[in-house]
Amino acid sequence: MTPLVGALAWSILAAPRTGFLNQLWHVTGATGDLVNIYSPFGIAWVMALFEGTVAFVMISAAMKSMDPALEESARVLGAGKWRVMLTVTLPLVLPGVLGATVFVFAEMLGSFAAAFVLGLPARFVVITTAIWEAVQSFPPDYPRAAALGFALSAVMFATLALYRALVRRGNFATITGKAFRPRQMAMGRMAWVLFAACFAYVVAAVFLPLAALLLTSFQRFATVILSESQFTFANYETALGFGAVRQALTNSLMLGVGVATVGVAVMVVLVWIIYRSKAPGHGLIEYVVMFPQAVPRMVFGLAMLWAWLNIPIPIYGTLWLMALAYFTVMLPLGVRTLAGVVLQIDKSLEECARVCGASWGYQLRTISIPLLRPGIVAAWLLVFIASVRELGVSIFLVGPNAKVIAPSIISSWLSSSSELSAALALIQTASVFIALIVLFRATRRYSGELG
Amino acid sequence: MIEIRDLVVRYGEATAVAGVSFTVAQGEHVTLLGPSGCGKTTTLRAIAGLEEPSGGSIAIDGNPVYSAADRRNVPAERRGISMVFQSYAVWPHMSVADNVAYGLRVRKLPKAEIAEQVDRALGLVQMRAFADRSAALLSGGQQQRVALARAIAFSPTVLLFDEPLSNLDAKLRAEMRVELRELQRRLGVTSLYVTHDQEEALAISDRVIVMNVGSIEQIGTPVDIYNRPKTRFVADFVGSANLIAGKVASGAGTGPVSFDATGGLSFKAWAAHAPHGNETHVAIRTAYIDLAKTANGAATGAATDAANGAANATQGTIRSRLFHGDFIQYIVDWPAGQLTIRRPPTELFEEGAAVTLSFAPEHCVLLEG
Repeated sequence: MTPLVGALAWSILAAPRTGFLNQLWHVTGATGDLVNIYSPFGIAWVMALFEGTVAFVMISAAMKSMDPALEESARVLGAGKWRVMLTVTLPLVLPGVLGATVFVFAEMLGSFAAAFVLGLPARFVVITTAIWEAVQSFPPDYPRAAALGFALSAVMFATLALYRALVRRGNFATITGKAFRPRQMAMGRMAWVLFAACFAYVVAAVFLPLAALLLTSFQRFATVILSESQFTFANYETALGFGAVRQALTNSLMLGVGVATVGVAVMVVLVWIIYRSKAPGHGLIEYVVMFPQAVPRMVFGLAMLWAWLNIPIPIYGTLWLMALAYFTVMLPLGVRTLAGVVLQIDKSLEECARVCGASWGYQLRTISIPLLRPGIVAAWLLVFIASVRELGVSIFLVGPNAKVIAPSIISSWLSSSSELSAALALIQTASVFIALIVLFRATRRYSGELG
Repeated sequence: MIEIRDLVVRYGEATAVAGVSFTVAQGEHVTLLGPSGCGKTTTLRAIAGLEEPSGGSIAIDGNPVYSAADRRNVPAERRGISMVFQSYAVWPHMSVADNVAYGLRVRKLPKAEIAEQVDRALGLVQMRAFADRSAALLSGGQQQRVALARAIAFSPTVLLFDEPLSNLDAKLRAEMRVELRELQRRLGVTSLYVTHDQEEALAISDRVIVMNVGSIEQIGTPVDIYNRPKTRFVADFVGSANLIAGKVASGAGTGPVSFDATGGLSFKAWAAHAPHGNETHVAIRTAYIDLAKTANGAATGAATDAANGAANATQGTIRSRLFHGDFIQYIVDWPAGQLTIRRPPTELFEEGAAVTLSFAPEHCVLLEG
């Protein structure tokens, strides 16, 4: 689920007066609202639920790379479980946790969806929504948007620089390159408490939002009081039948397939040049490729818009510009995924083919590409999924002839149809879900061949 | 046949190989031996065409494949050589047979011949039963055999080995050493082998080239390298030796010379070169020093040999003893300091015992530098 979908779902759940949770609260006879998601706390809640997962990945990586012998030796020297945690485990993972905090901070600065959906009704403006408003105002205030965007980029740049410094400095001897098995700790009664916390997270991040979206998407007017509800398929009929919306969905899927296919092919070549060739400037290429990572999506979209308005190649307002923008934004993601696989492939596997007499092309076809295949499949799907979900860049580049799904959800939300938005959000989520199933099928069949 | 002339390989500022020349004759098995970072693997990779040299020339079977003067650099795939990699580099996405057939398929041989050659190669390494197995499911030793079969399947005239046994455990390594030597003899293929394991180098080679910091220290047969090390580095790195500091007292030609050790002891040593007077050390192998119990100031046993004038003999005291099983290592105090001595486990002396040391002059080698 994307932050946009999460924000929609939570606004259906917890908007003042009309939110499901508040409706139920009123049924019990209480007055006022139980919760109000249209508040800074609401925004932070939704961001944490749906955008904070990257922190989980980063911190768990730090935990997994820690040699359990470091903790065990403290135990052997007589330290108790809590003492070990405070004096050994925490100091060792602290750089990882700190790094994750800074990284997530930078990401959140540039994020748009939750602040937009939940902040606008309460007139709570953050920098990304301010940029959006500047562009949407009449006449569009581009200089203001650009100034805001530049300021945001500068702060994000500085934060990411801090992140890199933290990560580099914080590499104690936790990563030894020696094989070890992460040790699991017996938690005793604490296990139930922790399990309950995890369960609560899954409910808040997956079950509740999905249920709310499902219920709403089949209703004429969103309500949780089932006796009052009027069930209908009209929202789906509109979503799949109505020209503009259907067009947006088709465009998104088309862009996803196109950008993933062409993009990954280009990325394979780039990764090859960066990590396997001795071509001059391959280090520089790496920096250029990774650069989009440090620019907030919205700012990038704005820059693309402004640039291509002035460049006399008529792709502004077409899907081509969108494809170009997607490709640039997805570069770091795809390149990093592929690089992970390329770096794992022992160089001598390729050298051996050359010594056996294979030409460069033959070697690429029979050795490199087959070995890279899991990486290529993964990169393709990641880019596809990210493209279908893309919002930040798209929101400035959509035109009457180039609509995509995520901005369409936004505009249907703006025209106050939470029911249609719910249907669209579910369709988007479902198409990503189907892509994921295909991914797992494909990779499993592949590994089945190996086994 | 491989001919290397003045080969230089540089990485930016650093020089990995600094002007190396040697020849590997037809059917000969030569080993490049040295510590890590001595340039042996870089030399091998330059011959394979995987590393571009900065100077010199390389010829394989009389054909120049690299020449700095002629600006010639034949790519790896057209050098017609074969190589076994340290990591084996067995392709995990193919079967064993496909791995072995790769070089034959590249050469577009007819199907029947490919099958025949694959079968022959797998037979040579006793891996026929595994032909249809996925290469991802093999153990280290099996992968090693597949890599070997793949390297010999297309009957190359030159075979390169980059530390092929270094990832195997000690026991398996010893077995593979024997097999490798037999296979090389049977095929009569010219081979160049890289290792940092001196025992391996001595055991399997016709000739050994000892390298250090990008240059060759000594080239010779295994026996030659062991008995007549030229430099302190070779004496120290190959086998185990005692280095004794001092200077040549008398003797001008090759043969026996008189050597004054620092510490006031004088004994007979052997010069394989005409002494130039600037020599600072002699080397004695730890296995070449005999020990005998000293009783009441008079030597018995081996010391009687010393008495007939052929050997150097002197008194010492056992400082410590380490029992290794196949041999016993003694540290012995003697007038010129301490000596490390290895004796068979049958010759047991107590720590603190007075002993008579004796060694033949020809085992006490005057080092050039």
